Amino acid sequence: MSTILFALLLGLPATGTVLCAVFHSRRVLETITVAGAGLTFLSALWLVTTVMQVRALSTPQEWWYADGLSAYVAAVVSGSALVVALYSTGYLRRQVRHRHVDGRQLWLYYLLLNAFLFTMMVVLLSNNLGVLWIGSEATTLATAFLVAFYEREGSIEAAWKYVIICSVGIALALFGIILTYFSALHVVPASGNALNWSSLMLVAKGLDPGVLKLAFIFVLVGFGTKAGLAPMHTWKPDAYGEAPAPISALMAAGLVNVALYSLMRFYILVNKAVGGSFASTLFIIFGLVSMAVAVPFILIQRDFKRLLAYSSVEHVGIIVFALGLATPLAYFGALLHLLNNAIAKTLLFLTASNVRMAYNSKIMRRVTGAIKVIPVSATFLLVGVFAITGSPPFGLFVSEFTIVSAGFAGGNVVPAVLFIGFNAAIFAGFIYYTSRMVFGEPHPPVKRGDADTLSLLLLGVLLAALLMLGVFIPSSLQECIENALTVLKG
Amino acid sequence: MDSTNLQTVGLLIDIFAAAILVTAFLVVSSRSLVFYIRLFALQSFFLGIVAFLVVLGYGETHILIAAVLTIAVKAIAIPFVLSRVIDRINVHKEVDFSINITVSLLLCGGMVILADSVAHSILDAQRADAPAVSRVLSVSIAMMLIGLFIMTTRKKAITQIVGLLTMENGVFLSGLSITYGMPLIVEVGIFFDILVAVLILGVFIFRINKTFESISIDSLRSLRE
Repeated sequence: MSTILFALLLGLPATGTVLCAVFHSRRVLETITVAGAGLTFLSALWLVTTVMQVRALSTPQEWWYADGLSAYVAAVVSGSALVVALYSTGYLRRQVRHRHVDGRQLWLYYLLLNAFLFTMMVVLLSNNLGVLWIGSEATTLATAFLVAFYEREGSIEAAWKYVIICSVGIALALFGIILTYFSALHVVPASGNALNWSSLMLVAKGLDPGVLKLAFIFVLVGFGTKAGLAPMHTWKPDAYGEAPAPISALMAAGLVNVALYSLMRFYILVNKAVGGSFASTLFIIFGLVSMAVAVPFILIQRDFKRLLAYSSVEHVGIIVFALGLATPLAYFGALLHLLNNAIAKTLLFLTASNVRMAYNSKIMRRVTGAIKVIPVSATFLLVGVFAITGSPPFGLFVSEFTIVSAGFAGGNVVPAVLFIGFNAAIFAGFIYYTSRMVFGEPHPPVKRGDADTLSLLLLGVLLAALLMLGVFIPSSLQECIENALTVLKG
Repeated sequence: MDSTNLQTVGLLIDIFAAAILVTAFLVVSSRSLVFYIRLFALQSFFLGIVAFLVVLGYGETHILIAAVLTIAVKAIAIPFVLSRVIDRINVHKEVDFSINITVSLLLCGGMVILADSVAHSILDAQRADAPAVSRVLSVSIAMMLIGLFIMTTRKKAITQIVGLLTMENGVFLSGLSITYGMPLIVEVGIFFDILVAVLILGVFIFRINKTFESISIDSLRSLRE
């Protein structure tokens, strides 16, 4: 049974990639991608319900492994992939119609989108930390040409920085993984299993604490680069700003969570092996620094997609900060925030794409009076910005409130106050820029015309989900998060 | 294997590890892109030999494939790809520096001393006995630092790739020295990733050259706040 689940979760996107490599017709590529992402999402939901009963699953040789945490993140990631796949069909049709994209690019886009989903699943389901590393580097490689997709000066520059910076980061993470392996060698005989997360957890108390602490620092810098934690975030505004908007959405809602997941795995291991507050203090510091770094760049921003990229730096900081608080309440907040942020980022990047299409610019100064030009998208933009900045009654308010409460309850008063301060400043920046984009008169006058109905419907669903999560949390989601939370507690 | 032979193997590993470090220093002092690539090929070849010696001396047969791959991928395939890239683009093939060679060499010398002390603190932290080849951990950490140094102070796109690969060589050597290498499937996957990364970066160099008529990364500065 478990083998079937792993075969589906890995096999579906892999098959999608191979099929996309073979076929070139637009309709076939669209069908493969949407069906692949949809079925992967359903399999992930199946995995979620399965691990609620059996706690953890693995394949016979233990290469693949899944528990509440991997299932939860896999569901968030594949769900985002499904939304992005659906939106991409309308997006690319428009791009082809306006001759921004030719047939070869269309094919490459769908091929790499499938490959991207596959590599993310490899990271989420691998038990062996070496395979997890291979999957992480492969996510960078799968997205490299997607970031460079439009072949402009800026996109080539962004893609170059992206691949170079993330590869350096991930090389350091590999050194961290080697050190982890080294710390385990005297308790587990050198073999494939010594790098398995599940075997390492069994012998965690016997791992060498000194070596493991050093390993954690390298891993934190490495996967922190992939997640876009400050000060290793510098590739992020460039890549998110230059990539096609649906790809930016999947990077902000999927890739970021995959990198955070990798960090969580090591965090759990180090907490169990070393104890004390070594790893959690580092998380709190990196979390706060990321939030602080985002503030000035959000306040002076000119480009809407770069604004969202800095918001992504901030929210990764929030999640890492919450994980660092290390109480069950904070963990709950972190996991809930991971979902909320994924939905809100997808909503905003896709809305940004609608705005850009109408105004042919992502520079905020050139966008005014959107409510008159694209009334539906402009409404989504305004409401989405309230949601992402943590205003009630949206999901992010609930998760951020949970995190702050956990901070005060755990006696981390100063960090919690800083958290509130950074959020207030970011709120001000976001509302200032968005209200100028949404209201006023469009000048020069812009032709009315919004995106296709399917795309708008998708955005409506995302917004409804954010609203629902702000009002109540369904019991099934509650159970699913609590199941992931037991893994985080170690 | 008896102890005299083991000592010989140990000595050879030390010699080749030192040779690897020398190639890294030669890269730092080199002015020509062609030399960068040749020196990297030589460095990877020495790294492959170290891996073979580990197989020979300590019977870790699973490293054999990693050793073959090191020579096939890093000493032959990647240098071949990079040479083709610089042959095909008509650019000034001299390296640009932001720090001159003398200062660079002094700084890299300092990095070796730093790496040595870091390596000792890692090995001292471990309670159990470290593998016999853990002496070369200092060299591997020095390689990572020098690789990073090359990436940050040399301005051609190709030199950034060579810096990255020097770092990767350092990480591979660290794996050899303290853990006798990673499990086979993991090693193979890592080689695959590195090869694909170099191919992608090679394509990007063509595009950078076409768009900016230069492969100096100084021209990559349109994206600013």
